[in-house]
Amino acid sequence: MLDVQGMPPGDGDVPVVTSSLERLVAWGRKNSLWPFGFGLSCCFVEMATSLTARYDIARYGAEVLRISPREADVMIVAGTVFKKMAPVVVQLHQQMMEPRWVISMGSCANSGGMFDTYSVVQGVDSFLPVDVYVQGCPPPPTSLMEGLLLLQAQVSIEKRPLSWVVGDQGVIKPRGISLRDLRHDDVAATDKLRPPDEL
Amino acid sequence: MDDAVHKPADDRPESEDARQARDQVAAQPTQWPARSAGGDEVPPPAVLGELRERFPDVPFVEQTTADGIPTAWIPAERSVEVLAYLGREAAEPFAMLYDLGGVDERERLHREGQPDAAFSVFYHLVSYGRNADVRLKVALPEAEPSVDSVAGVWPAADWYERELWDMFGVGVGGHPHLHRLLMPPWWEGHPLRKEHPSRGTEYGPFDLPDQLADEMQEQLRFKPEEWGLPRSEDDPTLMYLNIGPQHGATHGPFRVIVGLRDEEIVHLIPDIGYHHRGSEKMAERQSWHTYIPYTDRVDYLGGVTNNLPYVLTVEKLCGIEVPDRAQLIRVLLCECYRIASHLVFYGTYAQDIGALSPVFYMFEDREILFDEVIEPITGGRMHPNWFRIGGVAEDLPEGWKQRVLDFCDYLPPRLDEYDKLVMDNRIVKARMVGVSPISADEAVAWGLTGPMLRAAGLPWDWRKQRPYSHYDWFDFDIPVGTTGDCYDRAAVHVEEMRQSLRIIRQVADAMPDGPYKAFHPLATPPMKEPHTMHDIESLITHFLGVTWGPVVPPGEASIYTEGTKGQYSYYAISDGSNSAYRVKIRTASFPHLQVLPRLVTGYEIADLVTVLGSIDFVMADVDR
Repeated sequence: MLDVQGMPPGDGDVPVVTSSLERLVAWGRKNSLWPFGFGLSCCFVEMATSLTARYDIARYGAEVLRISPREADVMIVAGTVFKKMAPVVVQLHQQMMEPRWVISMGSCANSGGMFDTYSVVQGVDSFLPVDVYVQGCPPPPTSLMEGLLLLQAQVSIEKRPLSWVVGDQGVIKPRGISLRDLRHDDVAATDKLRPPDEL
Repeated sequence: MDDAVHKPADDRPESEDARQARDQVAAQPTQWPARSAGGDEVPPPAVLGELRERFPDVPFVEQTTADGIPTAWIPAERSVEVLAYLGREAAEPFAMLYDLGGVDERERLHREGQPDAAFSVFYHLVSYGRNADVRLKVALPEAEPSVDSVAGVWPAADWYERELWDMFGVGVGGHPHLHRLLMPPWWEGHPLRKEHPSRGTEYGPFDLPDQLADEMQEQLRFKPEEWGLPRSEDDPTLMYLNIGPQHGATHGPFRVIVGLRDEEIVHLIPDIGYHHRGSEKMAERQSWHTYIPYTDRVDYLGGVTNNLPYVLTVEKLCGIEVPDRAQLIRVLLCECYRIASHLVFYGTYAQDIGALSPVFYMFEDREILFDEVIEPITGGRMHPNWFRIGGVAEDLPEGWKQRVLDFCDYLPPRLDEYDKLVMDNRIVKARMVGVSPISADEAVAWGLTGPMLRAAGLPWDWRKQRPYSHYDWFDFDIPVGTTGDCYDRAAVHVEEMRQSLRIIRQVADAMPDGPYKAFHPLATPPMKEPHTMHDIESLITHFLGVTWGPVVPPGEASIYTEGTKGQYSYYAISDGSNSAYRVKIRTASFPHLQVLPRLVTGYEIADLVTVLGSIDFVMADVDR
């Protein structure tokens, strides 16, 4: 199963945790993914909602919204990517420091969604490396938070060089997690839905 | 539609349910209305007679439209003269240029009685003094179509005319800055011409190598000389500051270039189009029914308030009378969304000017509204896509009333608390009071509507002045400001939430029984009862309505509503097909943002954020 906590299992009586340096750094990264305060359309409102009291994305260490790309770790592409906006998105992504990740939030960013129109890029992954896709139009804040947890799970097992003089310099990213596969059994077992005509 | 084909055959056994449903339909006074697409019951409009008298040598060609708005074609060479008379000289002038846009007429089949044209340009004017509209049209040839600018009559015409050039390639003589408005400068073609590709996938895979991105950035770079402004190299005390298109205070991708002397704003050039989704082109491809979800996303904070002007327009074209229950359900949901949208405005505005905590309270209220009322009823949060042609998607669920009344009890004490937290706050007042006032006359000339107009002192609300959807059944007040400054704009928003609660409470009490959708063959999806399962013609009609979508009679209409941010309408032209020939979306945010240079020039750079926040715009609403 998906280990979303990621903390090495430790015995509560012994205040010592042993880990490799690589895992410790990855653990630190995954629990302080600072999002870039970047929004395009409707999804941005739901992204902002995830910061507010009811959802409180701070529980996952991702509430420090950075207005400057240079201080941010993860770019949440929240909304429709327009052809006029694309060069700007590229520039903003390039201004983010490594390591950096991209969450594509909502149908428009994932694939163009319902806006198969001349002015819309049909999927931000045509020019940015996307780590996690969040589905919905717009996805409710809970979906975004689920996407964040998926990203955390990936970040916690991602292999990156600890320094530019130590070890192998390549980045090894894990294979993306498929929510559809994870949920398949639950969905298949669902045979009753709440009727819409009563509360 | 022939009445006879929808009657069940007499010799068929009829179920008890079907009989009850049929009796219910019979009790409806306005089912199956026989109505032509033209508004022939409307008396001859006074304004066109007035024009004929004033300009005896101008050949006016009248056109009847389904919405009954006086419509006439005028020759291109006399257009400015006639328009200037209406806008300036006439008694109770048409002081607001409500909408301006183009139509590619080349593939239109139903143009009976209209002058030959490859393109046409329409001017929709509104007079508050008369509470009347007039729509004037200009026919243009295929080769080098061009009209003269009316920016001298209405300052609001500036962006509309640039959009006209951008979207249709119709030149505008005498326009000072006829650059592209929505499309990027490297774009080829004019998107709303019929030959322009509609789909993004028609362009093949999107590729953006670094070099191309750099070239595009270079083309987007602000060049003062293109705007007739001095370069900062030539004027050492002048500094240009680029804000956006990605900036925390711009509420979406919006770019503005400010020319500063010290901290004072001396020039301001807004740059929009970073959020142009091609919603109007989309209408020409989707069926009348499947276009409804796209309207949700125009003012994306307004939810179903966007559905309303669209479905009202289509219903007008089809001649559908909507049952009372459906009308009131619509009012209920619209007012809920008005509150949701205003809560976002309230919170983000406070945050824009530095108050970080209010937004958390207001978003929590919005969550409660979504969780307790909107989601249980519609199943959606921001974009429920819940209105239908002829009614709404479903009936209200059992137990809705208590949820609604509970929310009406919950919110007012919270609003009182926010008054202390925000509106009475000394710092908030210091930032807002007296900043960028605008007079009512000027607001009308710039095309401002909704809270922006009411803050300037004109108590004009379309829910009162031209009630639609039974708004005249309810008591509510129109909050107005006095100076039209930032504080007034915020105060009007706050008071409107209280008035919306009043309306919601009355709607909850007045909600009649009855069907939630009209029994009309063009209502979509059509009601199954009473005939569908009993005679084959009704079944066929039903099947076609569900699969192809309704075929709307040829005609033109635009019905406007008081949306969350101002006046909204969808000027829809039907060519007798199952999708629109052309839809022009008139949104409130577009003129509201256009007035920005007028509002902030002369103020300091910090005031720019205050003014931007007070405008309550949404970029999807500006660029569509």
